[in-house]
Amino acid sequence: MIAIIDYGMGNVRSVFNALDYIGAEAVITSDHQQIEDSDRIILPGVGAFGQAMKNLNDAELVQVLTREVVEKRKPFLGICLGLQLLAKHGLEHGQHQGFGWLDAQVTPLESKSGEKLPHMGWNDVIPNGKHPLFHGIRSEHCVFYFVHSFQVECNDKNDILATCRYGQHFVAAVAKNNIAATQFHPEKSQDSGLEFLENFIQWQPEEC
Amino acid sequence: MLKKRIIPKFLLKDGRLVKGLRFHENIRQAGNPVSTSKVYDSYGVDELIFLDIHASVESRKTTLDIIEKVSEEVFMPLTVGGGVTSLKDIADLLKAGADKVSVNTAAVENPNFMTQAATHFGDQCMVASIDYRQVSPDIFRVCTHGGYRVTDYEPLEFALRMQDNHCGEVLLTSVDRDGTMTGYDLDMIHQLSEVLSIPLIASSGAGSLEDCMNAFYAGASAITLSSMFIFTDHSPIKIRSYLFSQGLNVRASSSSRN
Repeated sequence: MIAIIDYGMGNVRSVFNALDYIGAEAVITSDHQQIEDSDRIILPGVGAFGQAMKNLNDAELVQVLTREVVEKRKPFLGICLGLQLLAKHGLEHGQHQGFGWLDAQVTPLESKSGEKLPHMGWNDVIPNGKHPLFHGIRSEHCVFYFVHSFQVECNDKNDILATCRYGQHFVAAVAKNNIAATQFHPEKSQDSGLEFLENFIQWQPEEC
Repeated sequence: MLKKRIIPKFLLKDGRLVKGLRFHENIRQAGNPVSTSKVYDSYGVDELIFLDIHASVESRKTTLDIIEKVSEEVFMPLTVGGGVTSLKDIADLLKAGADKVSVNTAAVENPNFMTQAATHFGDQCMVASIDYRQVSPDIFRVCTHGGYRVTDYEPLEFALRMQDNHCGEVLLTSVDRDGTMTGYDLDMIHQLSEVLSIPLIASSGAGSLEDCMNAFYAGASAITLSSMFIFTDHSPIKIRSYLFSQGLNVRASSSSRN
């Protein structure tokens, strides 16, 4: 059972629909017990860092997730804002503290040569070597849907699973032990996205 | 690098797809929206746009129903609009499965509505849909109410206002070229894309492969197609191959699971 964390921000329904489509059992929830009973956790997110942290803290979800993911090492996938929240802090509308699971910070994407912002659309994702989450996705189909104005800057380069280029190179995905997260939306990336989600469902982090 | 986007635009009226000419002339039935979405998904289009052109209370309920069904089977960004006048309208659409909501008349009548919506739901959720027509040589004005009413706003001026009010994207539609398949309004696309720092989706007028290419060269980040898909044999796959052969950065064709 996959718990899709509902904290009032984010397209939980789309993630649920995609998992349902590929035959995975999932539940949209903010209930601590259901999260504890789950085998895997997905944290989606669309919107502002500060508001998200507030909602998660109000529902005491940060503690629950830290226990289930960092201590009990359940496979975890953060999506979009769900990646950014894992950083130590974010700088959107003031400085806000994140989960701190990654030695990283969230900074604005810069438009260095007139690129339009937000970074919105399909872009090539370049994995750093082989990883089960990108298994079976050929390079010409390693294209996913992005929509964001901020990026995660990882201080520990070993955490970077994949990068993308939009004017500058930026982190497209991270993986650290059982914790993975993507800046792109696999639930909105048609075949490639569904393949990625299937890989997440099969993923056994302790074998890496 | 970021790919240029090809987006079918579907007009909904009471639960069916329709297509017209210059918005109001010669409105024809064009099929079932859910099955058509799946067909386009299998062609690997980049996003889908749905506009409810009736936008009555009943039509809106049907639209929500359609979006729910589409989002259960098609996994790409969905933009929905038509008659959106309140934050609740936006919330309902997002809950039904829309990723972005487009606002037209309501934003013209009250530009602050865009700011409110963007603050509440996030910039990336909000698309400013700007319809315009030519009122005299070299003079263009923004229209509302499905193209029926002409305002005093000039398209560029209004687009900049919407950008200032935090919309994530502009959907620019020429009422005059709608359904004519005579080409996009390249001058207007160029004018706006030069100045806007947010993406521009060019809408109305596509009739040939060259039209599509020209719109991108004029500066559009994305193009919508409606008549060209429904009334000609040009498929997204053909368009994509053509654009790729002309050196444009588009996605390689990939089919969906359908």
